Amino acid sequence: MKPIEATGVTRTFGTFTAVNNANITLHTGEVVGLLGANGAGKTTLIKMILGLLIPTAGHIRLFGRPQSRQQRHRIGYVPQNLGLYPDLTAKENLEFRTKIFGVTAQNTGITPFGNKLVGSIPLGLQRRAAFAAATQHQPELLILDEPTSGVSPLARSKLWDQIHARAENETAVLVSTHYMDEALQTDRLIVMAEGKILADGSANEIVAGRKTVEITTDRWADAFNLLDCDSPDSSTPRVSLAGRKVRVMSQSIDTIRDKLDKAGINADVKLVDATLDETIVKLAS
Amino acid sequence: MQAMIVKEFRQMRRDRRTVALMAGLPLLLLIVFGYAARFDVTEIDTALLGPGAVEMATTLDPVFNVVTVNELAGADVGQDLLRNSEAGVVFVHTDSGQSMLIDGTELFMAQSALRRVPPGFQPNLLFNPNLDTAKVMVPALIGLVLLFIGTVITSLGVVREREQGTLEQLAVMPLRAVDVIVGKIAPYFVVALLDITIVTLAGLWLFDVPFKGSFPMFALFSLTFIFVVLGLGVAISTVSKSQSEAIQLAIMLLLPQIMLSGMIFPLESMSAEVRWIGYFLPLTWFVIGARGILLKGTDPATLLFPLGILVLMAIVVFGIAVFRFHRDIAPKRSSNPTSPVSAAAVES
Repeated sequence: MKPIEATGVTRTFGTFTAVNNANITLHTGEVVGLLGANGAGKTTLIKMILGLLIPTAGHIRLFGRPQSRQQRHRIGYVPQNLGLYPDLTAKENLEFRTKIFGVTAQNTGITPFGNKLVGSIPLGLQRRAAFAAATQHQPELLILDEPTSGVSPLARSKLWDQIHARAENETAVLVSTHYMDEALQTDRLIVMAEGKILADGSANEIVAGRKTVEITTDRWADAFNLLDCDSPDSSTPRVSLAGRKVRVMSQSIDTIRDKLDKAGINADVKLVDATLDETIVKLAS
Repeated sequence: MQAMIVKEFRQMRRDRRTVALMAGLPLLLLIVFGYAARFDVTEIDTALLGPGAVEMATTLDPVFNVVTVNELAGADVGQDLLRNSEAGVVFVHTDSGQSMLIDGTELFMAQSALRRVPPGFQPNLLFNPNLDTAKVMVPALIGLVLLFIGTVITSLGVVREREQGTLEQLAVMPLRAVDVIVGKIAPYFVVALLDITIVTLAGLWLFDVPFKGSFPMFALFSLTFIFVVLGLGVAISTVSKSQSEAIQLAIMLLLPQIMLSGMIFPLESMSAEVRWIGYFLPLTWFVIGARGILLKGTDPATLLFPLGILVLMAIVVFGIAVFRFHRDIAPKRSSNPTSPVSAAAVES
């Protein structure tokens, strides 16, 4: 019984298609990252999974059944804006949730700041409180919409520890993010751009076999400028720097060699394995 | 400075509701004050009672619009006619003498009638002998306080949930839509009930306002009116994306009610062009009921019509509000993708 099974899901707003024919599946105990830039359609997809938006086309099943109110007992959700009442204390926010779900509060980890108004505590602590509130009823499916946005690296690391702990307890976790480094924390990645799912698999599977051209030269700045000018769209840069090495995803090795020769730039040009970042930029473009 | 001015105009142009408020409000105030703000009552519903009634009709000032003539009735019937607002002035002409009964709860009408007392008649102001403004205003102010609490405070409370993103969180909890709606509105209902109790008691105590009529009838009027105003509050919240938008809308709904409900300016003296608006405003009917019950002890049967109008308004307004609120927290397949909750989804 899969916690999420979405088939051919599309959502349009007027003439704008926010999610286009998306198919996703989530298995028990799996941490899946929903990766994409702002506007990729991640939040719209999440809202359709939660039943907050109705798909224009396609079907979504949760735990093997169509979405229903009864299933909400099995779901925990932390939205981007946390969904906490800023004029209640962290403890009161948790108490409200536990009463609605009919459970008793357990080791929440909010004791040090529990009596403070949520609106008065730092964002990192607010996110901890939101995570605690969303997991008090031991959900089997946890959906986190950009949970680490705006928090410190230390707080981010702690949150990921909590996410993995949940997954070990058989909770399926869907996490949306636009941080590439966080993508590596997941078991599987679903890459979205312009409403479409571009890739679905582990980071290694997505990157597998993809190559990039690496240029090593003393005149790295000239080489970068030369090749960067050829990028068709500056919003999706396909030339990057790794230290003083220039990496190019979008052009063939022969073309690059030819350009460098014509510009009189002496360089060592070779094919190397692409990184996840480069692969996703390539996919998105 | 020029850049600042240009920026300000650009922002103003894009805030359509503020533009509507800036352009619409002066126009609204002009029309309302022009047509409604009239203190002169030029037509007074009048009853003529007693054996000399028909003869009397030909001698009265044209301002007295005779609506009832009864040669067999006496002063007792006259009082009942005033109590039930079937007439504003009653002339009684019997063998034992002549009297002119005036409804003191209609301040401007009473003043107009007092200026036109026919020779030989002794004016007798009923229900508010000193033409005390406070006594007339308190029942209407009870309605105004409720209107304010109901529309502004309720709409802000619901819109705040949307702004904080907590309405969305409620929508994914195992709550029925009705749980959310009742749970959200019930506290405001209780607060409104407390308010009406406090304001009424304070009015009776501080301003010596009488309570001459039926308490159950007053309770019925109040409860129905609370439903209408809470419905207005929720309805405002369903079309407002922010608290400032909700306040703007509430102001646009409150102002006409203050001006056109008969609370300040008598409906009878308003120009026909705006008077009809008053009959579509809930405060108008609450004011009629509250003044009748508190000041005159109006027969409950006579108040069934204004109560019925309020009940109808409560059903329509509250029904629309709950339908829209329900749609926000439990979208259906046919829902409008541009509703506030839905619209939030495309932002990221």
